[in-house]
Amino acid sequence: MEQITAILLPCLWSFIACVGFGLVFNIHGFGVLICGFGGALGWLTYLLSQRAMGGDVVPAFFAAVVIAIYAETMARIRRCPVTGYLQVALLPLVPGAGIYNAMRYCVASETDLFISTLLHTFGVAAALAIGAMLSSTVLRIILPRLSGKAGK
Amino acid sequence: MEYDDLLNMGTELGYQLMYSGAEIYRVEESVNRLLTAYGLQPQVFAIPNCLIVSLNTPSGHPITSMRRIPSHGTDIELLEACNDLCRRLCREVPPLEEAKELVRRLGEGHRAHPTWVLLMGYVVAAAFFAAFFGGNFRDMVSAGLCGLGVGLWTLCLSKPLRVAGFFQTLIGAAIASLLSLLFTGIGLGVNLNYITIGTLMVLVPGMALTNAMREIVNGDIISGINRASEAILTAAAISLGVILSLTMGM
Repeated sequence: MEQITAILLPCLWSFIACVGFGLVFNIHGFGVLICGFGGALGWLTYLLSQRAMGGDVVPAFFAAVVIAIYAETMARIRRCPVTGYLQVALLPLVPGAGIYNAMRYCVASETDLFISTLLHTFGVAAALAIGAMLSSTVLRIILPRLSGKAGK
Repeated sequence: MEYDDLLNMGTELGYQLMYSGAEIYRVEESVNRLLTAYGLQPQVFAIPNCLIVSLNTPSGHPITSMRRIPSHGTDIELLEACNDLCRRLCREVPPLEEAKELVRRLGEGHRAHPTWVLLMGYVVAAAFFAAFFGGNFRDMVSAGLCGLGVGLWTLCLSKPLRVAGFFQTLIGAAIASLLSLLFTGIGLGVNLNYITIGTLMVLVPGMALTNAMREIVNGDIISGINRASEAILTAAAISLGVILSLTMGM
């Protein structure tokens, strides 16, 4: 039971936090909920894959892959650009705390910690970007063919 | 001068797209498709703060238009409106006058949340990010109040005072950190770190960094480097603001 709360509760928090960000980015109506759900889904993937293999660069990659698949599908269903859903749903994963901590070490002149945190942050950001780009690119090749066949 | 009008229309659409926070490839592709639909062969080049559109008239005379893009936020509603309009224009190719009118009306009639809803967004995001990072209920309440402070500064105060960019972020972070010191001082919040990081999530350039990486992976290297430097600069502003109010608070 405790295991389940430890996984599901953060997902709920990230759902609500993403809804808040959806409002800040001027997203209206049903779209806000789509963003929130994407955020929760991404964080769920992250936590599960972190349990399976540890670390945080690889789980971030998998979470980005799942979020991009979700966002591309939603964008196709609602016929609008994928940008908004993707950006907001990625927010809980985005290494904001990493950059902040790195700069805090920098100002406190702890150079070793600063360099390692900064490089780690870049690693996570790159993993997110590559994961999202990879699955978007693959989906853009696959989805039109699928719908084309369904049309015939 | 039909070609001048077409060029202006394409540039205006690209400008609105850039202003709503669209990715570089989307801007370039949209303007390209729109002008191609009107039978031209345009060249489009965009980086985060500049858009250049160039085309040749049938007589071989080259004309170019350049727009500088001021600093802007993200406005998904405007982005969707631009995207819909671009698709519609490419599909129907209405007469030039009508298309010009549609593009001109783009910025006017679009829905925007009233300020109190935006402030709510700041409060909700800050509060639940504090919980997300491990804070308890009292931390959530304090982070929500800190988020309200940052939102008030960003939305209501910084514009009339004409503070933008680096110093806007610096002061925003200073406010966030000062308020969280205050709330832990009077005993409302418990974990200073969770409250501060939760609130700073609304300022932190994590999104900018990830977008920068996406532009680089996509091949728009100048834009990617531009955005990455912006992200590092913003992070520096945030930590300076935090350090400023931490030393003041001690």
